[in-house]
Amino acid sequence: MNLETELRALAIDWPPTPQFDPVPQPVLEPARAKRARRARLLALAAAVVVAALAAAFAVPQSRGAILRFFHLGAATVRVVDTLPRADERPLSSGLGPVISVAVARRTVETLLLPPLEPPPPLHRTAAEVVSVVFRHDGSPVLLSELEYGGSGALLKKLAADGTSVEPAPVGTAAGLFVSGRRHALFFAGQSPRLAGNVLLWEVGRTTYRLEGARLTRDEAIRLAQSLRKG
Amino acid sequence: MEGRPRDERELALRAKRGDARAYADLVRPHQEIAFRVAYLITRNGADAEDATQEGLVKAWRALGRFRADEPLRPWLLRIVANEARNRRRSAGRREQLTLRAASASPGEAAPSPEEAVLTAAERARLLAALEQLPGQAREVLAYRFLLDLSEEETAAALGVPAGTVKSRTARALERLKGAYEPRD
Repeated sequence: MNLETELRALAIDWPPTPQFDPVPQPVLEPARAKRARRARLLALAAAVVVAALAAAFAVPQSRGAILRFFHLGAATVRVVDTLPRADERPLSSGLGPVISVAVARRTVETLLLPPLEPPPPLHRTAAEVVSVVFRHDGSPVLLSELEYGGSGALLKKLAADGTSVEPAPVGTAAGLFVSGRRHALFFAGQSPRLAGNVLLWEVGRTTYRLEGARLTRDEAIRLAQSLRKG
Repeated sequence: MEGRPRDERELALRAKRGDARAYADLVRPHQEIAFRVAYLITRNGADAEDATQEGLVKAWRALGRFRADEPLRPWLLRIVANEARNRRRSAGRREQLTLRAASASPGEAAPSPEEAVLTAAERARLLAALEQLPGQAREVLAYRFLLDLSEEETAAALGVPAGTVKSRTARALERLKGAYEPRD
């Protein structure tokens, strides 16, 4: 018998194939066309869906089935039974080298900056995620900005128990606020780290992420609305 | 390569028009093989699951660029394999699992004639030899012979031309033969 046949004869003990959702939750899909005109409607629809999803959190056996996975711009949120291993790292770790505002403007469609003068240093990772760490009410906050469809993408894994997701529209933009028990954050090109309370929202092709351990939902929304265009 | 299902083109056309159900039906038969390709790259079940999930979503979003007359599987495997490689790069020192041969349990169906010709010890030894090969050699053999992918599908999963698969397979088999040295 030749080696090819012997290899084919190897019965491998493959891990069981999980269930997949090939199409993301449609309401949270970024609208590619007529976005400006539909923004208000989208925010409202997203709020309704997220409220339903949040309600599903209260029913343990429905979590896996209903809130397995959804998208908001370049961000994916998945609920898992057990959090994967993730490192404890400061907000300022792995942000990449410092870049100028001009370079940041070329990286994201609508650059937002903290309401501070002079602005704190901007960073960019190899996956083209623009980030800035600044202090808000004495605590560090991380603002990250990335383009939908770019090389950067972020994935959040939430524990099914102890983490809440609630709608958090920022003006007319669809948004989510994740709080409670810390979740695992996966950025392209980086090992996962534990993340605290986070507001996610989307304007045009850009997805924004504001993280701070002490941020409440309302504070995060106010802070997001105070950011200025860069 | 196995024959293309007759309705795949029809499903692909409907999916390209935005029919999410048609897309789900289109990719369902390929999810298992896509997950196993991702597993061979990441060697981690959770990363393979994430890569497959993200690959399926990216494929849905990229359907406009897919030609409905082409077979779906190589195109889909290319996308999932790319996702898996990105995750492997970011995984750092995360634990990677080795492949294991399935052990037959009493009461299970009789092994196939091919399985029957290798003893459990021989299977374990061959698998160990395969696992010790360098990454490129190991992957091409795993795609071609463990997953039974065609050369075109293997090329897509590896991100190389089909001609490269042929030569890489031949070299990898030679290396494996040297490492395995089956006993008479």
